[in-house]
Amino acid sequence: MSGVAGSIGPGVPTMAGIKLPLIDNIWRVRGAVPIDPALSAEEAFARIDPLLRTTGTAVAQEAGTLTYSKHNPAAQDKLATFTRGRLWVERAGAGAVLRFDLFSHALLACFLAPLLFLGFAQAAIALNAWEASNAETSEKSAKKEDEKPKPVKQLNPVDVFLGAPAPEDPSKKKDEKKDEGRHSPEEAYFMAGLFAVIYLVGRWLEPWLLRRRLRAALALPTAS
Amino acid sequence: MAGVQVGKRIIGADAPVTVGWENIGRVEGGPIKQFVFTWFQPVMLFAAIGFWYYAPNWLAVASTAIAIRLGWLILLLALEWVNPRYESWQLTWKEFATDAFYVGMGMTLVGMIDAYIGDGAIIRAVQGAFDWDKFSWFTGLPLLVQAVLISMIFDFGQYWMHRAMHNWYPLWLTHAPHHYITQLNINKGAVGNPVELFLIGLGIGGLFDFLPRAFLLAGAIGMTVGIYQHINVRFNTPRWWRFIFNTTEHHSVHHSRDYEATRSNYSGTWIIWDRMFGTCVDGEAELLGMEDGRRMDIAETMVFPFREGWRSTKAALARRFGGGAGAAHLEPARLEPAE
Repeated sequence: MSGVAGSIGPGVPTMAGIKLPLIDNIWRVRGAVPIDPALSAEEAFARIDPLLRTTGTAVAQEAGTLTYSKHNPAAQDKLATFTRGRLWVERAGAGAVLRFDLFSHALLACFLAPLLFLGFAQAAIALNAWEASNAETSEKSAKKEDEKPKPVKQLNPVDVFLGAPAPEDPSKKKDEKKDEGRHSPEEAYFMAGLFAVIYLVGRWLEPWLLRRRLRAALALPTAS
Repeated sequence: MAGVQVGKRIIGADAPVTVGWENIGRVEGGPIKQFVFTWFQPVMLFAAIGFWYYAPNWLAVASTAIAIRLGWLILLLALEWVNPRYESWQLTWKEFATDAFYVGMGMTLVGMIDAYIGDGAIIRAVQGAFDWDKFSWFTGLPLLVQAVLISMIFDFGQYWMHRAMHNWYPLWLTHAPHHYITQLNINKGAVGNPVELFLIGLGIGGLFDFLPRAFLLAGAIGMTVGIYQHINVRFNTPRWWRFIFNTTEHHSVHHSRDYEATRSNYSGTWIIWDRMFGTCVDGEAELLGMEDGRRMDIAETMVFPFREGWRSTKAALARRFGGGAGAAHLEPARLEPAE
């Protein structure tokens, strides 16, 4: 394995020689689930094998460590969020745990997505400013249009009978949004906020689901 | 696979498709669940129409529609959770995040571009050039007639744009990424290349003059009918509904891995257009996608039309001018309009 999740050991995580003691928690998930101490590493890996036997997943075992990497996993792949990972068995006293150290493109992308949408919000503001700089010419043409009084629309008698509210007089309408421009940054702000929430939910939910799935797989005897 | 003959076509020869209404799934569970998932669609349609018909002017504005739509999406997500049509389409965190990205692109980037070259700008230019008056007599029609006209005119445009996307290679390249979705969920309608999202949004409705309330009513029809085409909820859809309106069943046939099945059910809201133009196939499918269900990631979705277009152009030029054995390796992957 290479890249961010490449050099993983019990010590400090590194990326290409750079120490990343905290920041990599954004995209990396580390933890452990207890296993039956009687299980060997190979037996434990055999039990979680069904989780890894999916389209686009490459798995390798070496010296008691299982590494996998996924290329564009299927939507229903149980480990789809974690595109690369390393798992190994650690024994302490009478107990044993299966440790994992996984890397997620999806979590990293969701963490960065708000920046993209904040960029779109800035683009909307910049476009409004750019359009406002051309306002003189457009205002002239707008005034021409405004000179024609718009007729008040009438409802069809059927709708009057059924009691639908009558349309407003368009000439009374205030031009409230005149100064705001036609591009609203609000949608982009909303999306930035939504992705911040999606990230936080995913950072908690996905490791939780992972532990649950690993525990369930380890509890089942290996299918021969 | 034998397939089933529908008109002159064999549906379901490449991948399983249930043709006809006799064998499609039903809502399973107790009487309350049966009741809710039988009546949900019509009740919500009539409730939305009633609301927009009678809402006072201060309330009948676009911002109300946006707020309602947000709440509505959350409700539909809950329904997907409670009563999924297929477990194999269950929404995951990653799928939700991916769908949200495409929704966001539609709301921001595509919207900004649309303001300059979208249908609104085109219609203004056409009207400016010819000094046409709008079809102002439309505003005198009863509101519901106007709303149905707006909805049907827009859907008519979508039908032919969508059908063209499945039959003309350059347009197909923009639409193909959308057909790589392997499951239907409420936001999957937004999944695709932004060029496609822009093209499918073009409409001729703006040529006509309607009352603002009629537009809100038409939006309500779209929100309570068209939205179901990508939902993963099992409904006992009434017979009259599925005769007139597009349903998740129809649209799953359209997204099936069966090539002939994908060339059907092009409309968004009014399946009656497909019935009129001979492209309707009633039924449903679970196995969806292209290339045996290969999922297309966001990066590939963004470049796919341009990459494949470039490859095809290079191959065509090589065939025309280069010739010889050297051109063989330039042949693009076989990507026929599949739907």
